[in-house]
Amino acid sequence: MDYRVHLAKRMLTNKKGSLIGAVLAVSIGILVIHVNFVIFQGLYDAIVRDLKDYRFGDILVSNDEDYIDKSDIALINWFERNPYVEAATSRLDGSASINATKFGKRTEEFRIPVLGVDPLRDTRASAIHNTVGDGQFVFARNSLVMGSRVARDLGGVEVGDNVRLKFVDRHGEDQLKRFVVTGITSSAGGQGLDGSVIVHIDTLRSILDRTDETGTILVKLNDPTKAVEIKDLFLRSFPSDDFKAETIEESAETQLSGFRSGIALINLIGYFGMMSSAFAIVTIQMMLVSSKTREIGIMRAIGAKRMDILTLFLFQGMIIGAMGAAAGTGLGLVYTFYAKETKMQFEGSLALEVTYNWEKIGQTALTSFGLAVIASIYPAYRATRLLPVEAMRTV
Amino acid sequence: MNKTYGEGETAVHALKDVSFSIKRGELLLIVGSSGSGKSTLLNMIGLLDRPTSGKIFLDGIETTTLNDNEISSFRNSKLGFVFQSANLLSDLTVLENILLPRKIQRTDENAVDDAKKLLRTVGLEKQMNNRANKISGGQAQRAAIARGLINNPTIVLADEPTGNLDSVTAEIIVQLMKSLVKKLGQTFIIVTHDKHQFGDVDRVITIKDGRAFEEEEQRGMEVAAS
Repeated sequence: MDYRVHLAKRMLTNKKGSLIGAVLAVSIGILVIHVNFVIFQGLYDAIVRDLKDYRFGDILVSNDEDYIDKSDIALINWFERNPYVEAATSRLDGSASINATKFGKRTEEFRIPVLGVDPLRDTRASAIHNTVGDGQFVFARNSLVMGSRVARDLGGVEVGDNVRLKFVDRHGEDQLKRFVVTGITSSAGGQGLDGSVIVHIDTLRSILDRTDETGTILVKLNDPTKAVEIKDLFLRSFPSDDFKAETIEESAETQLSGFRSGIALINLIGYFGMMSSAFAIVTIQMMLVSSKTREIGIMRAIGAKRMDILTLFLFQGMIIGAMGAAAGTGLGLVYTFYAKETKMQFEGSLALEVTYNWEKIGQTALTSFGLAVIASIYPAYRATRLLPVEAMRTV
Repeated sequence: MNKTYGEGETAVHALKDVSFSIKRGELLLIVGSSGSGKSTLLNMIGLLDRPTSGKIFLDGIETTTLNDNEISSFRNSKLGFVFQSANLLSDLTVLENILLPRKIQRTDENAVDDAKKLLRTVGLEKQMNNRANKISGGQAQRAAIARGLINNPTIVLADEPTGNLDSVTAEIIVQLMKSLVKKLGQTFIIVTHDKHQFGDVDRVITIKDGRAFEEEEQRGMEVAAS
């Protein structure tokens, strides 16, 4: 082992307080990044997960300008023949005015989005049915699942209540339809259909006079990494149709871009935290240099070059960086493990999607290691400027 | 050589026209009262400081023209140092301290054997794995002498090597250095304020007000003055 590494190690271990302080500074910087990542990236991933599960799937197919008029069954079958596709389902969007009579009093009418689903296929391709807390998912032509916010705004609609929806069909004619509320949907984090109502797709087609038309095809993959490949294959297979196929990142871009900027900002704050720990290392290293002035003088007197002294203190920075990176990464992984195993929730409702991003973990550890070394450059340089005779006079 | 600190009216002339030579295997004492400039002279010879004017030749090399890296290498390979306080690195063991100049030189071949041999010579083989701050002052000074010898230097420079020691320990150190001169033919330049402690030595240079006098000259001056 190089004597400078050996000496750097000994000098640090004999100054345990400074070593612990410096290692803590590095590890806390890393821990902040890990905690940020678990919470904010976990929140982002949870939102992506929910948007995918409830609204967009891994791939969302729509018509570029209008409704899809090709047979939805044919398209679903095309997708489901692919081994990477778990399931696909068709959906149709609309809107309606809704009101209800509660305790003999009619509530004020307001407009809401309406989603038509194929109940059997939707339970395979999406997870929206899991958000139905009270009652059950759409099972009949006149059954309706109501979003919890809509139910609240209607004065507390419950399962079994009747509601009246007024649609405007494709010809501009009003169409009134009564439904029985069979379920109330409520999603943690609100990425589900809490502000909509869900009905049977055939009922909606019939009301809107859009028989054989579909709004979107939602595709769930068993290997989401194949989304782009399957999307491209689909578009190549139907070149003459005006299909638009988007991955979750594309279809949810509007919802996600804001979050991404927020996460970038939070990460920036984390990196500023890491910079602060670098300043702490500069201070601790300066103290170490100051406390070892006499030793530096002795080493210079017996022939150590300025470069040897520089290297010695850079090695100290590397040891601090390596120990801090290991401790910080270890603590961060323990926290991540805890968050994952306990299904940590954001504000007590939205379960965070905790993942081990090894690239990010490695990058954070390397960055903090690098910062510790960089933070040691100035104190190391100062150590090289000491004159042997004067340094040895230091008591 | 001359050494002046400061400039103008506040200038202090620490060494004035000092000139002498030393032969290989000699033990030279530099004596003088406190503040006379003897440590300054030793720092010049040890390349720890540069003279204001003049030249220093060691092993035929003019050292005043060397750059910082060359000076470091020169100090490492040609000079051994023994300071008033042993100046061992407290983070290392006695053996590691003795090996340090060799490690700096990056010539590890037989280094441990050489160091152990020196430890035997100075009577410290039992303490070699003790931490440097866990041994007595006399033992530390003996370790410092061993460290000064590990690279087979041309000259060992000792600055008040017995200054911090009790009289019994000081005597042991003096005898050790004198025996090294005899046994190894090692050249020593020793700065001391107490030349009697060393008894008979090859040469004595007295520094007075920054000027150097050989013992014979000094004796002549004293006779003339009386």
